[in-house]
This record gives sequence, structure tokens and C-alpha cells, in this order.
Amino acid sequence: MRRSIEMSHTDPKLHGVLAEFEDVGSLMAASRQVRDFGYTKWDAHTPFPVHGLDEAMGVKPTRLPWLVLICGATGLCIGFLLQWWTNAVDYPFRISGKPFFSLGPATPIMFELTILLSSFAAFFGMLIINGMPRWYSPLFSIARFKRATDDRFFIAIEAKDPSFEESRTTEFLAGLGASAVERVPIPEGRQVSPQWLRTSAWIGLGLLSLPPVLAIEARYSVDSEPPIHIVPNMDWQPMVKAQSEFRLEGSPIFSTGRSMRPDPEGVVARGEEAAGTPFLTGKDASGAWLSGIPADKDAALMERGQERFGIFCSACHGQSGKGDGLVHQRATELAGSGKSIWVQPTDLISEAIVAKPPGEIFGTITDGIRNMPGYRSQIPADDRWAIVFYLQALQRAQQN
Amino acid sequence: MSHSVQLEDRIQDGQVTAKAAKIGLALALVGLGGAAALGSAEGDHWRLFFHAYLAAFSWALAICIGGLMFVIIQHLVNAHWSVTVRRIAEYTTNAMPWMGVLALPFLYPILTHHGAEEFGGLLWPWLHPHGDHQALIEHKSAWLNRDFFLIRLVAYFVLWSAIAKYFLKRSLEQDVAPEGDYAPTMRAKKMSAPMVIVMALTLSFAAFDLLMSLAPEWFSTIFGVYFFAGGFRSIMAWIIICALFLRRNRVADRSIHVEHYHDLGKFMFAFIIFWAYIAFSQFMLIWYANIPEETGWFGIRRTEAWMPATWFLVLGNFFIPFLGVISRHVKRNTKLLGFWACYMLFIEWVDMTWLVMPQLDHGATFSVGIINILALVGVAGFLIFAVARAAGNRPLVPLRDPLLAQSLAFKNS
Repeated sequence: MRRSIEMSHTDPKLHGVLAEFEDVGSLMAASRQVRDFGYTKWDAHTPFPVHGLDEAMGVKPTRLPWLVLICGATGLCIGFLLQWWTNAVDYPFRISGKPFFSLGPATPIMFELTILLSSFAAFFGMLIINGMPRWYSPLFSIARFKRATDDRFFIAIEAKDPSFEESRTTEFLAGLGASAVERVPIPEGRQVSPQWLRTSAWIGLGLLSLPPVLAIEARYSVDSEPPIHIVPNMDWQPMVKAQSEFRLEGSPIFSTGRSMRPDPEGVVARGEEAAGTPFLTGKDASGAWLSGIPADKDAALMERGQERFGIFCSACHGQSGKGDGLVHQRATELAGSGKSIWVQPTDLISEAIVAKPPGEIFGTITDGIRNMPGYRSQIPADDRWAIVFYLQALQRAQQN
Repeated sequence: MSHSVQLEDRIQDGQVTAKAAKIGLALALVGLGGAAALGSAEGDHWRLFFHAYLAAFSWALAICIGGLMFVIIQHLVNAHWSVTVRRIAEYTTNAMPWMGVLALPFLYPILTHHGAEEFGGLLWPWLHPHGDHQALIEHKSAWLNRDFFLIRLVAYFVLWSAIAKYFLKRSLEQDVAPEGDYAPTMRAKKMSAPMVIVMALTLSFAAFDLLMSLAPEWFSTIFGVYFFAGGFRSIMAWIIICALFLRRNRVADRSIHVEHYHDLGKFMFAFIIFWAYIAFSQFMLIWYANIPEETGWFGIRRTEAWMPATWFLVLGNFFIPFLGVISRHVKRNTKLLGFWACYMLFIEWVDMTWLVMPQLDHGATFSVGIINILALVGVAGFLIFAVARAAGNRPLVPLRDPLLAQSLAFKNS
């Protein structure tokens, strides 16, 4: 039984032997000797970083750079895939005429993720390779070891080392110029992290799991209450509706009780100089729809109309005006699955619409009809006429 | 810290520097002569020659300016690792008066006006504004006018020469100062803080003047940093090559040991990344904003003729040397490091050529040829000559620098 023979040398209650040195020079010299003797399970402890100590101790070059390289490359790939997949594959969305995916603007994110994962690898990798976090070492039970953070230098050889033999190792260290050599026993019952630390770690982990649990709960439950308004901004404040009567005890805004002054007689608002004219109403003096377009019917108006039609009308009526826009397609899909009901937008190429005078089309755009809202406030009058002009061209183009 | 350090190696050799100066001068004569001969045969009133010459000139200037920044920054941060290699940079910066001499031929395109109307003259188009951009260029005439341009050029070279001389002189004074007297070094350190600001400003404006104003309608505020990044990268490569040359001749071969090469390599590596960072920042903002007056400059570098060179710049300036120099093993192996240093100097010239040559015919043809190589050989030879002359028989390691002992004992761990 080899094992029992080995065990007979070493006290199982022994952690190792600790040697104290007074200065860096003797520590370095001793480290070289310990290295050359062939010890492997040992370490040096100094109050400050000592250049060249790793070489004196025979520490092998660290594997950390490879870890950093691998993690950095992973970050690069994640940064690339994240942007390529979200922008070009999963949800392609054209912004400012740029390509869905382009390496140029993707580079900063790829760069940042490379750096992020590299530094994670360097930091956490360093901790893990160094066996951290380590809560406790038997060396802490030695009183003189406290000076390792102050003005003394130590070499500790562990009993686990194959070359370790208590009396011989002690003698060896004493012969290296150590100012003191001490036996380090394994203290009873203090091998693990302190109870308070473990308790608070578990409590901390428990608390950390709360937010995701709450988020999941909120996602899969229905609540009749409105969401909690954490930052009120100025969302609720006393305010007065236009044209309403307002009387707040002790602080009347206007003595008449109005919340807003009426316009003086004869005032014309900016941009409404043409109010009441055929250009704004689409009707002539007798109240009949205009049969022509009160604007210069040129290429510029046609282009403008095409552009505005594309922006405001085509979503429902479709690019060709047949009432088959994207909104209609999507709504039909939803209606098909029973989630809503839907009436197809009017086919603008149909006989009934073609027969309508331009003034009436203008009026419909202005004030809306059935499900279609009025676009008076969104599209200026001259653009509305441009749309009418373009629509005429659309209709003519599609008549056989 | 004990200050008198016994160096174990020869740190000066007038014969070696004299030989280098001779070879440099020969290269200069052959290169510049050949380029001039090709240029005159071109029959375009030296237009091609001056573009090729400006690219090569900017390459050498980038090294010298990088050297000035290096010396100043080492003083500024009280660096100790670099003490043994600083002298090489100091001699390099003292090529600056000679760079002023090399700048003299530019008087020809500045002062005369021949042909090439459609491109606005021989070299800098704003000298003879013409065509679509005339109004834009005239708007900038408060800065871009001939007289002020000449004054600025003279001021740059006088100022840079004076700064270079100041720091070298302090360093040489320290060599013969009495034991324990660090006054010269302290004066240099004190001067380094204001000088870093002066350098940052002058090198930016010089880059605007010499290179950016080739496309006077174009502007990029980061352009000065771009030039600096390339220059700093190049001075690291230059120092590595000089140190290896000295080592070959058994000069300062123990004072500059593997740890110093390792650090020079790290610095070079850092600035390979920095160059890419700056170059990309310049490109991406312009790409994203997509404003015609800014994109035009990249546009003529993305033509059919120049696109391969542009891709080569992206790969050759960043990806290839990044992977090449990233390893610790490479930086501690003088042969490999020497190869990459030569490569980086070459790529800096590629970069300068990429900045200058497309302006020749607005990217219509790939206009790089033998004349560019000859101009580079000539200017490089002249730089070698100037640096070797500055070094002469003087010590190549600052003998009594207060931080020399630390630099000699320096270790990467």
C-alpha cells in the first residue's frame, strides 16, 4: 500500500511549512533554490508586486491570453451575428435608404463586444485561474504571516507537494536564509467560508431572482389596473380644455370664466388666409364640387402628388389605388384568424370614384369618409390637390 | 537610485553612422534623381512627380513628427523603460532641418503656374481654383492662400527643428553633467508639457496643409490625428529598425535588450490599433452622414481603379499587422519584430500614397508606378543620411539619464 507509506511521512493535520524572509533579495534567491530543488506546490507571498519573481519561482507563462483571444473573437462574432440577424434577417427595416446590413456601422458594436468579452475573460479568467475567490487559507492562523501585507516576504511549501517531508523541508528552508521557519497546521473547523458570508450570499441570490420572477409574472398575467407610473414627469397637472368654462376657487384665469380668449372680430389665423375659398373647400361659390384642379397642373405637382400619395394613401389604398395596401393585407390576415373584422378600403380605380369630380375627392381627403379619417391637419391643401392630380393620372393609366 | 551606470557595451560608433550616411546619400541621389528623370519625361510639368514626391515626403515627415511626439511624451510621463531607445528618436527628430531642405522643391508648384487647369495646377488645387468648387475654395482663402501657406510651412519646420534641437541638447548636456546634477533632464521634462500641445496643434495643421488641402473642398477634423497615428506607429517601427541595425554592428546591443524590443513592439501594436480606430472613425461618420461634400473624397478612392488599393489599406494597415504582432513571442523575437517594423514603414508609405495619389486625376486611374518607388527610396535614403549625420560619433544611449539604471533593469512580467 504505497499510499499508507506516504501518509506515514506526513501529518494529515499539517498544511505545510512557512518561511519568513526579511528582504526581496533573499526571497528571490530562496525562490530560485526552491524552484531548482523541484518543489511544485508552493507559493511566495509579498507585500507588493516583485518584478522577476515569477521567473525566479519558475511560474509557467499564463494561458490567460489565449482565453482572452477566444472570448474576444466570440464577442466579435456575437456582435456581427446580432446585428446581421436582427437587421437583415429577422426584421428588415429600411432606414434613411441605408442597406439593411452594412459592415461599417456594425463595426462599433462588434468592436465594443470584442472589448467587453475580452475584458470579462481577462478579469474573471484571472480570478478563476488564480483559484479565486478563496475565503480562507490555513496560513491566516500564523500570527507572523500578517506581515505579508506589510514588510515581510514569505515562502510557503505545502504538505501536498510530492517532495515534502516535514523535517527535511523545514531544514531546507532554514538553510535558505529564512529569518524564521514555522509549521502551518490545518486548524479545526475553519476550512470553509464564514457562515455569515454564505447566508448573505444565498439571501442575495434569492433577492436577485426576484426581478425576473416579477417580470415573468407580469408578462403572463392580466391586470385591470393601469401600469405603475414610476416617473410622473408632468403627466398630471391642472389644465384647462380649450373653449371650456374654468373657475378655480380663488384663482380665476380670466374674469369671464373662459379658459381662452376669443379671437377679436375679423382676425385671420396664419396659414388660413385662404379660408373659405374654393382652394380650401373644394367647392365653388354655389356650393358645387369643383370640376377642375385649382393649381398649375405640371410635372412638379404630379411628382409631389405621387410622393404624398405614397406616404399617406398607399398604406391602405395600395400603390396602384386598388384598395389593396399593406394595412389591408395585414388586416385581412388578422380578420381571417378571427381577431378582428375588416372592410376593404375603397378601390380608387372603380367607376364610381372615377366619376366623382376632383373637388369631391379633395373634400374626402380633407374631411374623411366612413372609416377614413380627415387629413386636413396632416396634409396641406396644395398637397391634397397634388394627390388628387396624381390620382387622376393613376385612374387614367389603369382604364382600358 | 544610483545614477552612474556602467554600460557593458559600445554605445557610439562614428564609423557605422558615417557608413550609413554614405549609403543613405547614395540612395537619395539614385532615388530622387531617378524620380526626377521619370517626372520630367512625363511631360506634365512635373505634376506626377510632385504628387509622388509629396507622398514620399509625408512618409518621412510622419516618422520625424512621430519621433518628436515620442520624445516629448516619454519626458512628459517620466517613462523609464524607453530611456535607452530615446536617443535614437532624438537623433531622428534632428533630421527635421533636413526635412525643411527636402521641402524646398515644393516652392516650384507653389510659386509657378503651369497647365493642368482642369485640376487647378500642379499640386495643391486651391492655389489656382478652377471649376465647380471655385466658390467653396475662395471661401477658405483666408487660410488657404499662397503667402500665408508659405509662412506656415517655414514656421512649421523652424519650430519643429527648434523643438527637436532643444530636447537633444538637454539630453546631450545630461551626458556630461556632473554626478547628481539632473538639471538638463528636469528642464526637458518641464518643457515637455507645453510642447506636447504645440506639437499636437502644429502637426494637425501641417497635415491639413500638406495633405488634406490636396482636396480643398473636403474637410475632416480628425485628419491631423490620423496623420499622427500613422506617424507614431512609424517611429516605433523606425526605432526598432535602427536598434536592430546598431545591434548588427554591435553597438548598444546590451543596453537595448529584448525587453525594450518587446515594449517597442507593444507600442507599435497599440498604434496599429489606434490608426485603425481613427481611420475607421473618419470613414464611418462620413459614410453615415452621407453628405456630398464629404463623401467625394472617399468616392475617388472607391473607384474601379482605386478600390483594390483601398481594400489593401484596410487589410494591410490593420488586420494583417494586428494578427502579425499580437503575439508576445513575435515581439520578443528580433527577427520577426524587425520584419514587421519594415512592413509597418512600408504600409505607412502605402497610406500616404493612398492619401495623395488619387488626387492626381480624381481616382480615374491607378496612378502609382516606379516613380513612387524611386521617390520613396530617395526620401528614405535622405532620411537615413540626415539621421546618421545627427547621430555622428555621439553616444546612442543617454549615459547619465537619472532613469537609465531602471531602463537597463527593466523587465516585462
